[in-house]
Amino acid sequence: MSTRLVSAGSTTVGGTAALLRFALRRDRIRLPVWIAAGTFMVVTQSVGSQALYDSADDLAAYQASVGSNAATIALGGPPVGLDTVAGAVAFDISATVMLIAALMAMFTVARHTRADEEAGRTELIRSARVGRHAPLLAAVLLSSAACVAIALTIGAATTASGLPALGSFVLGASVGACGLVFTGVAAVAVQATGHTRSVYGLVGGLFAVAFVLRAVGDIQRSWVVWTSPIGWAQATHPFTDDSMLPLVLCVFVAATLVAAGFLLLDRRDLGSGLLQPRPGRPAAPRTLLSPLGLAVRLHRGALLAWTVGLGLLGLVYGALAESVETLIGENDQALMIFGNPDVDQLVDAYLATTFAVTALLASAYAVSAVLRVRAEESGSRAEPVLATATSRAAWLGSHVAVALLGSALAMAASGITTGLVRAAQTGEASAFGRMLAAATAYVPAIWVVAGVAVVLVGLVPRQAQALAWTAVGVLLLITMFAESFDWPQWVGDLSPIAWTPTRPLEEWTAGPLVGLLAAAAGLTALGFAGFRRRDLITG
Amino acid sequence: MTSAISVSKLVKTFGATRALDGLDLEVATGEVHGFLGPNGSGKSTTIRVLLGLLRADSGVVRLLDGDPWRDAVALHRRLAYVPGDVTLWPQITGGEAIDLFGRLQGGLDPRRRAGLLERFDLDPRKKARTYSKGNRQKVALVAALASDAELLMLDEPTSGLDPLMEAVFQECIREVRAEGRTVLLSSHILAEAEALCDRVSIIRHGRTVQSGSLTELRHLQRTSVVARTERPVSGLESLPGVDDLRHDDGQVYFDVDADGLDLVLRHLTSFGVRNLTSAPPTLEALFLRHYGNEEVDNGVSSRGKPVRS
Ligand SMILES: Nc1ncnc2c1ncn2[C@@H]1O[C@H](COP(=O)(O)OP(=O)(O)O)[C@@H](O)[C@H]1O
Ligand SMILES: [Mg+2]
Repeated sequence: MSTRLVSAGSTTVGGTAALLRFALRRDRIRLPVWIAAGTFMVVTQSVGSQALYDSADDLAAYQASVGSNAATIALGGPPVGLDTVAGAVAFDISATVMLIAALMAMFTVARHTRADEEAGRTELIRSARVGRHAPLLAAVLLSSAACVAIALTIGAATTASGLPALGSFVLGASVGACGLVFTGVAAVAVQATGHTRSVYGLVGGLFAVAFVLRAVGDIQRSWVVWTSPIGWAQATHPFTDDSMLPLVLCVFVAATLVAAGFLLLDRRDLGSGLLQPRPGRPAAPRTLLSPLGLAVRLHRGALLAWTVGLGLLGLVYGALAESVETLIGENDQALMIFGNPDVDQLVDAYLATTFAVTALLASAYAVSAVLRVRAEESGSRAEPVLATATSRAAWLGSHVAVALLGSALAMAASGITTGLVRAAQTGEASAFGRMLAAATAYVPAIWVVAGVAVVLVGLVPRQAQALAWTAVGVLLLITMFAESFDWPQWVGDLSPIAWTPTRPLEEWTAGPLVGLLAAAAGLTALGFAGFRRRDLITG
Repeated sequence: MTSAISVSKLVKTFGATRALDGLDLEVATGEVHGFLGPNGSGKSTTIRVLLGLLRADSGVVRLLDGDPWRDAVALHRRLAYVPGDVTLWPQITGGEAIDLFGRLQGGLDPRRRAGLLERFDLDPRKKARTYSKGNRQKVALVAALASDAELLMLDEPTSGLDPLMEAVFQECIREVRAEGRTVLLSSHILAEAEALCDRVSIIRHGRTVQSGSLTELRHLQRTSVVARTERPVSGLESLPGVDDLRHDDGQVYFDVDADGLDLVLRHLTSFGVRNLTSAPPTLEALFLRHYGNEEVDNGVSSRGKPVRS
């Protein structure tokens, strides 16, 4: 620590204030968005739950179903205080918002340390009058400030939404404390590996481990929950115990991790990590040696993540179906509104709508996979491949094939998990097939959305990304709001998802599905024709 | 003599930019052809048209007796390409990338691949995200050189290589030439072309300004000299081929044509040479000398100092 930098009076943390100001400027949009997103989720949950559970009976039903359901406990937290609306809100939303806070912390720390270093910016900055420890200190301070900010806004906004003030701020503080711990985790991770992507993998993996540990602990009601920082943060039991003591542990661990980060920083060279990357294969496996093999290799990480993600979502929807069943079964009013005394059918209706949302997510995946074509093209990675004996159709086709089959796979994964859960719940094996069919019925609609992306890539490559995501955004609005807000029929009809017969509610008819498939084929063919006729656009 | 590449009056525009403005290029089968031009003169654009990645606006383009746009796939089986700025997939190793390019362009010789890896001192087990620009370039070079393509199109292939590796590269190109294969080698450094090429074409602003063998282009070969002598130098101005003469602080600065160099050096030694550095001039400097007036006529702005003081 004896290194003194050029100018007299500067220390290893010299220049931190200037870096912090600069970082704040760079993140002036990003951080408020993270904070607003987290706060918005809590407030939405609060408002929604207060409307839903407006009687003691409703709450009792909720507690009976959710409080003993291993799946909801695994995803939520300790089943504490479920006899109050506020307690239910904390149970339902705290884990998700803690994930938001952890991601915010991870991205903030990594962006201002490892990412800058990887891009060579740190070298430039450090050659000016900036101390060795200044970039990490500035990043940690910025991330900590963001954690405090999200704690306070959640506290204030949740109070304003009508929940008790003390509990609201305890909930906010728990979220912020979780963010602080992951600020520390990120401060260590950015020293460990030389690449920003590996940092994200490492921190994300540690969050997953922490999440599983707390899930196991909460389900078993055992000490295991205390091995997880998420467990500590949730041990405040907002609105029930309002105990701030566990947060002391969070802050202590966060500070220790940050200190460890500074120690490790002194033990490595600028631009490198402590861990050396593992060597890879010296020669390619046969499976890589074709355009399709390459596409599969490039897409497989994202495809696996989406498939697992939608599969888990299907699991959650399936698990919640039982709660819905209990809730509706005991709620005469709901039965009257739906005008249908058959509880099973109502559950089916609920699942059918949830599959529409899953289809929306699968469409987003399909679009992102098709847009990979543009990323390859503008990143100059398409050029050397197309300069080989690989035709444009084969190259584009391999990416589009992954997008189409991958989105179908992810959708099927969702149907399979929901089907398995439903079959277990009802004891009818046929429920599995029904759910799988209901989910995969959306595949032609998803392919139409993918086809739109292919057309854009083929015909208007420079605008393709912006336009394709705009289309997904419009689709999102229509799927979420068209029916609830009574928008005109033709608006709803813009969505291919809406053309899909919502099994098992509606009768199965081949007409719309054949129409959708034809549209998808036509759009894709048009996109291919455009791509084969145009210049390759690099840069 | 057959042509591997034959381009005439090629025009390619990007919006308002006229990247190629009636370019001509003839590359004979079996020769190493230097494709020279300053940055932004249109070398990469020409190569991309030849690869069928860009569509020509007008002009005639023939590649290995085929149409590069229509017959792209068939032609690509017979050629190998090394881009100017090689980008690879971060998660794929160098060895995997070499095999992939090799297979896609029609197979490569494993013995040659192993030899090239050794000569270029490239570790094929590393993921591409850890490679420097030079190492990424080596990946593309190994894939191209280990293939049995009859035509190699190399776009500024040495821009990321250190001098040692550049020597290895030159050796490889000589071997390729000895095998009777054709090479199109783009560069913005005249000296590189001098070391390797049978013939060169020099382009500027998307147009061919010179084409021929290196002896035909001998008037372009000049040397910039800085010398420190014991006694002040006099009489240089009267020697043939000397230009831009300047005395400053006991040193003498001048440019000299290749033909005049020998005489100038004899003349200098008579003043007791203490120190002497010489360097080939940049293409930009050469252009400024040879086409400086035309440039002014065309209203194109030129950077740098006035040609003659
Ligand atoms: N895709 C493109 N869009 C617009 N302008 C381009 C594009 N590609 C090249 N240019 C322009 O065309 C000219 C020639 O570029 P290039 O062929 O890359 O030159 P070189 O390879 O000789 O350095 C430059 O002015 C460049 O800016
Ligand atoms: Mg170029």
